[in-house]
Amino acid sequence: MNLDAIVPEYVRCFDAYIPSKPDHLLMREYGAPFLHRLNNNENPLGPPPAAARAIAEFPPEAAAVYPSGDSFDLREALGRRMGVSPERILVGNGSCEVISSVIKAFCEPGDNIITADRTFAVYEWVAEFSGIQARLVPLRDYSFDPQGMLDCIDGRTKIIFLCNPNNPTGGWWDEGLLTDFLERAGEERIVVVDEAYREFVEDGAYPDAVALMDRFPNLISFRTFSKMYALAGLRAGYLTGTAGVVEMVRRTSIAYSVNILAQRAALAALADDADHIAATRALVRDGRAFLMTTCDALGLETVGREGNYLMIKVPINDMLMYRRLMKRGMMVRSMTGFRYPGWIRVTLKKIAVMEAFAEALSEEIRSIREGGRSA
Amino acid sequence: MTQHILTRKDALLRIPFTAPFLPLAMEFADKGARGFSLGDRESGALTLAVEELFSFYMSRAARESSLEIALGDEGYRLSLSLSFHAANPDMRAFNLTWRVSHDSEDSLEMLGPMIAARSVSSLRLDFGDNDRVVIRLTMDRDYEPARNVPLPPSGGPGPMISEPSRDDVRHFAAMVNASGAPFIPHFLARPSMAADMLAAGRLHALLAVAGDWITGGVLWAHLTETCIEMYGPYLFRDDPDDNTLTMLLDEAVGRVSRTRARGLLRRQGPLAGYERFFDFLGELQMAGVDGQASRSVYYFRQLREESGGIVYCSPVLAAFLHQQYERLCLPRQVRESAGDRGLARDVSVLAVELDYSRSLAIIRPLCAGRDMAANLEGHLDLLESEGIANFLVEINTGRSEDTAFADALAQCGFAPRLLIPDAGQGDLVIYDHSRGNVRP
Repeated sequence: MNLDAIVPEYVRCFDAYIPSKPDHLLMREYGAPFLHRLNNNENPLGPPPAAARAIAEFPPEAAAVYPSGDSFDLREALGRRMGVSPERILVGNGSCEVISSVIKAFCEPGDNIITADRTFAVYEWVAEFSGIQARLVPLRDYSFDPQGMLDCIDGRTKIIFLCNPNNPTGGWWDEGLLTDFLERAGEERIVVVDEAYREFVEDGAYPDAVALMDRFPNLISFRTFSKMYALAGLRAGYLTGTAGVVEMVRRTSIAYSVNILAQRAALAALADDADHIAATRALVRDGRAFLMTTCDALGLETVGREGNYLMIKVPINDMLMYRRLMKRGMMVRSMTGFRYPGWIRVTLKKIAVMEAFAEALSEEIRSIREGGRSA
Repeated sequence: MTQHILTRKDALLRIPFTAPFLPLAMEFADKGARGFSLGDRESGALTLAVEELFSFYMSRAARESSLEIALGDEGYRLSLSLSFHAANPDMRAFNLTWRVSHDSEDSLEMLGPMIAARSVSSLRLDFGDNDRVVIRLTMDRDYEPARNVPLPPSGGPGPMISEPSRDDVRHFAAMVNASGAPFIPHFLARPSMAADMLAAGRLHALLAVAGDWITGGVLWAHLTETCIEMYGPYLFRDDPDDNTLTMLLDEAVGRVSRTRARGLLRRQGPLAGYERFFDFLGELQMAGVDGQASRSVYYFRQLREESGGIVYCSPVLAAFLHQQYERLCLPRQVRESAGDRGLARDVSVLAVELDYSRSLAIIRPLCAGRDMAANLEGHLDLLESEGIANFLVEINTGRSEDTAFADALAQCGFAPRLLIPDAGQGDLVIYDHSRGNVRP
């Protein structure tokens, strides 16, 4: 069969993302006695207690029944929480699914999207394997560059993706910067604000994109239960927009894609998140302070104002550092794929894990400076 | 018979692999080459290669096999592939050492493939499922060597990174030659070739530009489907704090990081401060044509997080692989295996890439066979008699046809020197030989 004849070139040219192997295989391959995953920005506290109970008490017979095809109860609860109609919310199998739905709804080959060159890569990837041009604007001071993005707009620009706070740098726009950008970007295109890490931000100047939708009806917000709510394994993310925009996106979305357990756990998590958010924020604060102090002592530059992660500039190439740390049971995210060669990103976890990581990192840095394995 | 144009740069012909269709195959090669603007010399050579290969393999192909000829215009060169089915095809004549004996009819018959192999710029063999054989030829266009151009004066403003046009790269290539850089790849020695490669998407570059001057640059191109080779950075001004070098490398690595490649290789001279960008793989000592020894230092970085792998090889290679994988923290399982000599062909085939400017021969296995040690010895003798001073062998750990050579290489005095991860179907092991390759 000649697949080349039937597969579009933009699919042929695209390389599928290869997820990491399961822990037991990685431990065996690297000879690591244990594995701390510090690569995916997961919350080590686990889901809020009510969500944990919902998961533990899930009746197996309920798995035989299709879930609500449009996450009805969850949208009702989210609508109450945000003060918007449930019709303005669309729940997906993680944020990645809603990214795909939005691009399908608004773009066709020949159109383009705009985002940053060093940000969550899925906006770029979905655009590329859909035949849509991704215009990538360099970050400025580790944050999205508003003027750079505005300069890239043309008549075929359909969506602008902002990641606020940005993964992996943690830089973010305040409300003034965001509203100014929205005014200048105009209503002829969609502006998506991905707020996957919004619950980690404690600064009052951080904007609420949903609250701005009355002024800017072309605005869409992405949020997720994967990060703060620690339900990454169940995959539930959602978008909020104005009714007309969401109605369009609904046409390109898959019904029934969010499983019943994810819906129940997310619903329970929402109802029991105050203490959980406070505890997680404290954990992240402590982890960041500890790791920044460690890196300062080692003479390593760090970047990361917000989010549950920190970028560290290492003295050897980041891919080698990844492998060296893997041998010590520490799985970080190498930043070459984010176009930050020479940097790693570390998820902030409990202090005991941070201490173990700091010890592993310190030993590697010492070994490198003494002319160890990399020389 | 079907014939269809795939794109404006490709042409494909599928015909019965029988004598009456030879003229059509030759006409297709000739008219296709001219259609893609090759000159008389290059078109003629390519057509001759098709004639010889067609005539030789026609009778050896499987009875129902058709022949597919694909032409591809890659800008700076034309590629041509012949694809057919044949069980255990005779490839001996592709060996550089093949000599025609007028006393042997069999030997005279093999003259055809030998002529074909010698008349093109490169030749590669691939073996697929169902006895599928693909012979891939390329023919470079002719290009003029570089002319002298002025270099920037010292001092001046700090540079900015710039994405070059075709003309920029042509000029930059001339500057690299004028600067007397010790390592100049063949495409930079011919600036218009570099420009055409850039236009064809086969070469990528970033330049450092300060005012009206190009002050440096870095280039990269695919070495294999999975590995990109970097050339440079070439700097034409002092760079006190490595600012220009760091700027060029950071941007270049960022650009290649989201390509399909798994690794980035640099194999030129030493690069100060390489640690932040590359792993050190090792170095090879080379005897120069002028008698001076030079160092070829190999640096590498992975572009994707490591996903492990299994290598089957003979014990003689396993010890080296264990040591290298440990040093580079690469999670590979090495399984010692004697291979299956019973399945090997009678004759092995080696491809040789000759770089006379560096007195270097790079030998790559094409097919394993029972005569591997003798074949390697034959190649060594011939290359030595032709004045070649450096011999390297590249073994791909992901190809059993390659790893089958490990014992023969050891018998012939070759020793593994360094390993390039992910440079082929698996990792690439580079051997050198005590007869050449000046020792440190």
